[in-house]
Amino acid sequence: MVDALINPLNLVIVGLGIGFLLPLVDGRSPAIRRGLFHLTLAYQALLPLLWLMWLADGAAAQEIQTAGFGPPFSINLRLGLEEALFVAGVNLAALLGGWYLGDLLRDRAAAMSAFLILAMGIDGMIMTRDLFNLFIFIEITAIATYGLLGLERSAAALTAGFKYIIATSLASTFFLLGVMLFYYLTGTLNIDGMREQVGLVQGPIGMVAMALLVAGVVIELKPYPANGWGLDVYESVPPGIAAMVSVGVSAGALFALYKVLPLTAPYLPAMAAIAGATFLVSNIIGLKQKKARRLLGYSSIGQVSLVALALLLLTRLDQTAAIPLVVGGLFVNHLVAKAGLFWLAGALSRENIADWHGLRARPLLLVLFGLLLAALAGLPPFPGFWAKWELVMQLSAGGMSAWVALILIGSLVEAVYLFRWFGHAMQPADETASTPAMPQLLPVVFAVLGLFGSGHIAARSFGPDTLATLLPVYVAIALMLVDGLPGRLKAMLTLAIVAIYSVFIAPELAGLHRLFGILLLGGGLLIAAASLYRDDSRHGYYPLLTLLLLSFGGLLQAETSLQFFVAWEFITLSSYMLLCMGRGAAPFTLSYLIFSLGSAFLLLAGFGLAYAHSGSAALADLVRVQQGSGWVLGLLAVGFLTKAGALGLHVWLPGAYAEADDDFSAMLSAVLGKATIFGLFIAVMQLGVKGGAATAVMYVVGWVGLLTAFFGALMAIFQEDIKRMLAYSSMGQVGYMIAALATGTHMGWVAAGYLTVNHLLFKGLLFLVAAGVILRVGQREMYRMGGLIQNMPFSFFAMLIAIIALSGVPPLTGFGGKWLLINALLEKGWYWQAGLAFFASAVAFLYLFRMIHTVFLGQRKRAHKDLREAPLPLLIPQGVLVLVILVFSVQPNWLVGPLAEIMAGHAPQTLVVNGTLVQSGLGYWDGFMIINVVGAVFMVPLLMLLVLSRFMHVQKVKQFNIVFAAERPESPETTHYAYDFYRFYERALGFLIVPRATAFWNGVTEWSHSLGGGLRTFYTGNGQTYALYVLLYLVALYLAVGGST
Amino acid sequence: MNELSLSAITLATGFGLLLIGMWGMLVRKHIIRIIIGFSLIDTGIHMIMVSLGYTRGGTAPIIDAAVERATAVNTVVDPIPSALVLTAIVIGLGITAVMLAYAVQIHTHKKTLSIDDCTDGKW
Amino acid sequence: MAKRLLIVLTLILLAFMFWDVAGNYVEKTALEALPGRYVAQGPDELGAPNLVTAVVVTYRGLDTLGEVTVLFLSAIAVGLLLTLGGGTDAAEPPKRASEIVETAVEYLFPIVILLGVYIFANGHLTPGGGFQGGAVIASATLLLFLSLPQSRLRHGLLSATESLSGFGYVVIGVLGIALAGGFLDNRVLPLGEYGRLFSAGAIPVIYTFIGLKVGTELSAVLERFKGNAP
Repeated sequence: MVDALINPLNLVIVGLGIGFLLPLVDGRSPAIRRGLFHLTLAYQALLPLLWLMWLADGAAAQEIQTAGFGPPFSINLRLGLEEALFVAGVNLAALLGGWYLGDLLRDRAAAMSAFLILAMGIDGMIMTRDLFNLFIFIEITAIATYGLLGLERSAAALTAGFKYIIATSLASTFFLLGVMLFYYLTGTLNIDGMREQVGLVQGPIGMVAMALLVAGVVIELKPYPANGWGLDVYESVPPGIAAMVSVGVSAGALFALYKVLPLTAPYLPAMAAIAGATFLVSNIIGLKQKKARRLLGYSSIGQVSLVALALLLLTRLDQTAAIPLVVGGLFVNHLVAKAGLFWLAGALSRENIADWHGLRARPLLLVLFGLLLAALAGLPPFPGFWAKWELVMQLSAGGMSAWVALILIGSLVEAVYLFRWFGHAMQPADETASTPAMPQLLPVVFAVLGLFGSGHIAARSFGPDTLATLLPVYVAIALMLVDGLPGRLKAMLTLAIVAIYSVFIAPELAGLHRLFGILLLGGGLLIAAASLYRDDSRHGYYPLLTLLLLSFGGLLQAETSLQFFVAWEFITLSSYMLLCMGRGAAPFTLSYLIFSLGSAFLLLAGFGLAYAHSGSAALADLVRVQQGSGWVLGLLAVGFLTKAGALGLHVWLPGAYAEADDDFSAMLSAVLGKATIFGLFIAVMQLGVKGGAATAVMYVVGWVGLLTAFFGALMAIFQEDIKRMLAYSSMGQVGYMIAALATGTHMGWVAAGYLTVNHLLFKGLLFLVAAGVILRVGQREMYRMGGLIQNMPFSFFAMLIAIIALSGVPPLTGFGGKWLLINALLEKGWYWQAGLAFFASAVAFLYLFRMIHTVFLGQRKRAHKDLREAPLPLLIPQGVLVLVILVFSVQPNWLVGPLAEIMAGHAPQTLVVNGTLVQSGLGYWDGFMIINVVGAVFMVPLLMLLVLSRFMHVQKVKQFNIVFAAERPESPETTHYAYDFYRFYERALGFLIVPRATAFWNGVTEWSHSLGGGLRTFYTGNGQTYALYVLLYLVALYLAVGGST
Repeated sequence: MNELSLSAITLATGFGLLLIGMWGMLVRKHIIRIIIGFSLIDTGIHMIMVSLGYTRGGTAPIIDAAVERATAVNTVVDPIPSALVLTAIVIGLGITAVMLAYAVQIHTHKKTLSIDDCTDGKW
Repeated sequence: MAKRLLIVLTLILLAFMFWDVAGNYVEKTALEALPGRYVAQGPDELGAPNLVTAVVVTYRGLDTLGEVTVLFLSAIAVGLLLTLGGGTDAAEPPKRASEIVETAVEYLFPIVILLGVYIFANGHLTPGGGFQGGAVIASATLLLFLSLPQSRLRHGLLSATESLSGFGYVVIGVLGIALAGGFLDNRVLPLGEYGRLFSAGAIPVIYTFIGLKVGTELSAVLERFKGNAP
């Protein structure tokens, strides 16, 4: 009895039997009919799931015979692991889709039948091992689809349906003819039998037979440009149906491709070319698309092509062991995420993506939407991420770097339009649209849960250590569930979790990792503590902040490049989402994400290449890369430089840093930026000293760093917005670190480490001070401030310390950084670079002075008379930072000593720390002595003045106690010279800071959009044109492969 | 071609029908004619299928009084393509019926049957 | 014009491709192993003289079940398209046929139905079978509509016949798993005496189901196209 219930053939039998019966209960008892419908779908979903479990546990693949005869005499089917995976995926989508479509199908028993049989037909396509039977199931699927497409009665849907029929019926005609020619040549219809006889399929007839079979399957997969009919359908039919076509029918077609592949080996390269081109082109055209459902169509075609491409390339490389993870992962990812998005699009029923604004007001929808997009974009922890990683590794190892480039570029383009859509959803809306009914959202919720589940399973194949990297996500999800708590309580919770975690992992970190552990986790905690100054609830902020901080830990603990990359992507994703919460951030979030993902993809390519050359995925084995180390280093360096905002790649930076929430700006600049430096350290330490091409890369990186330092400082001096100025300042400071790293010497690395620590201290300080000022003044333009020293003395003091530490003059920590940097550059023989570094520091003085002068000194505005000091939660972290700066200023060897030790293991030591004395080949520096001397220099006049003021008459100066051109000024604004402060420099140097990089990237954007516009002109909307494309595909395939032999 | 056999002629005719049907589908503007084009393609395929299963001098694979059972293997044609063509005919019929139903609906909605007027979706 | 040229070019290239097949085609002189086995053993194994039927109903029974499904689906699709909201707009009642036609149909109708039944019932013996028989039955319906355009079919009955025969077919298939070699095995019933009407196991039963199903389905499709359906 149980055996009968779990017989895989039931997938066909039950689907059909109930499908036939349903019309009989028409009209009489809708409840029974509906119950039967859902029950059948549930059974159909449960059965393959069970088998999937058993097969994964090692059960033998099920060979199912019919009619009592074995193959080839009768048709046989198979349910192995891959079949079970696909069938389970499709049937689950059908179950949820059936639920989603419940209302539409309610009164239409016939449509219910068609839906059941559609799922059954796809199952058959996947399971059958007989080529002609495959054709039958293709037709069942096709006609069921035709019927369901007819549910929508708009002219657009009807014409789209007709075009769909024309194209697919031609495709299945090809397929049928191909099957018959195969039968003529091999004398069998059984696929396995044909595989044994594949030698017989040759000569002109064999070539035509293969071309027909290939064209039949490939057209079903909707190759560009013969796919306009598919897009029309995605756009015009009910989203529930479109979802089923997009995920279910495509799944069947993909599996057909999988079966046909061994029979048509000569056509494999041509198929790969088609799949690759379709993937890239449909994503580029997607850039131009404004309608949500058609956009999903482009994405759908792109994703299916990617799955096909992965299958084809792995087959070509003979890496069949990787197919379940890669193809299965990509497929499940597409299936669940795309179906979920179609359902969501249907539930919201807004045609244009620009109309999706205001989703922000409904957190559940927004979270679902964001997660589905993240899955489609291939971010962890979703299955697509793991699949893409493995794919890139395998392709790199197989020497297919060009394909890796194509896949990554296409993925990036896809991310652009997906997250542009998300950006629209984040826009505030004036009208509050009604929330869709829960029954319609339930399948979407299940889809997201399914994504998490399948992602977890995919991650498992990389071992328990990699699985552990998912911990931050689960913590974040748990926190998301208690997001209703008061904001400050959640902040405390975050701090507690991160603190415990930090203590927990601290013993495992040593050397460089310990240094960055202190910076990222310690610094992160300190800056995060400042968030307590806000008492609002900040929905979603704290879970994401926890994710970000815990991912820093993941980055530090990473032993393999995969673990590093997972943590890296979590950092990207969480920081993007946190950035999205900034009030004015909307215009800048997209570029932040795109450059971050671009950076991540460069890293991915770099890691892939490293794996290809060293054969190891361990991060510490980067050093084993010999040949090609230049390329690996180049890719990794450009990846990190992108994320660091190096000159030319910095266009995302000012907007993001300026428009994030004020406390999060501090996190971005002071802490998050350090993660990039950590990555760069790892890459440079292992690869930068290899000589050859790597040396050239290091040289270029050095110049880029210094140019970034110079131009960052230059652009900072012309900003009016305090945060924007600090953003450019950060960019410039990071430039120094990059340059120091690029020297590849012990001294350079010590300098880089020192600069990194110092930057965290003073830039955290500056951004927190700015946060306090902005909180009180309610403005970001500096010229609207002035004289705030009277209201906010401690903030002034903190800023003063930070500025001195930044500027590089004795006695505070900045001096040591500059001393080490210049020493390192000179030691390396980079004299021009040293000159530029020196000049850039001088430029930095200008904006530093302005900050003091314009914000805290000068004339106070009348409106600011009663402002209070910044709140305590902001001041306490500032106090801590000031304290640390002062300690390191007095005892610089406490910092330089450990740094010299850490770096000593990686390069010949050229820097000696001896007591308070730091010695290089060029000279020495005694920080302790300097601060004593400078202290004395300041203290003596101060004491003198204090003493003198007791004996002399001192008059206090009031605000308007001045006479200006014989007039007594009435308002502070007239006397406070603050606006356009450096206009004379701008006249002289303005030509240097014309936004060339922005113009360049705008050009890239425009160009790719017009490329998309050009590529889509092939879509005429005319069914006959599409039919012609279909025929041309057949002819072209044959001429390209068969005709030439 | 070695010699002009019976099945070669029907095979070539089948391919000819295929091409004529394709011409009809690509060039004719009237939707009903496009459907007729599809039917021609379908018929062409059926002829090709039957031709491929033919063995020289074979008779129908029905083992009754007219056929000697012992030597039947040498005297009848391959029954498989005949079975397959039956299936293919039914499927072709089904698709044609659906296409016609679409044509009816398109005419109801657009009051035209020209394929050039059916370009609602495009980019 | 350029498009027309492209079409011509495409078709010429296709013609070359087809020529590669037709030009290299060699007529077979003997059966391959697989059909050879069907011919040699089929009559004994399944008890059906018509080997095409043996292949259709049993050896490749899953294809045939699929084929029935395809027809079922296309009837559904036509139904969905032509009944829901709108459908054909029969503005004026169609003209009545001439008296000759009406009278002829009156006599022919039962005979054609009978012929249809004969064809599907003897499918295992002579050329014919469920699909052919069903099509003949549907042609009787067509004749009826030609002579009496206003006539209506009894929908409940048609639908019940259609659904039950489809379901019955599946049930017989399942019985094959329980009682014989596998799904759709015709040997759930005794093979009987070779060449008789009641022989070849379940083949005549299956063909009866198919014949009924196809006949009712196609009739329903015809009525949909006729318009003014309920």
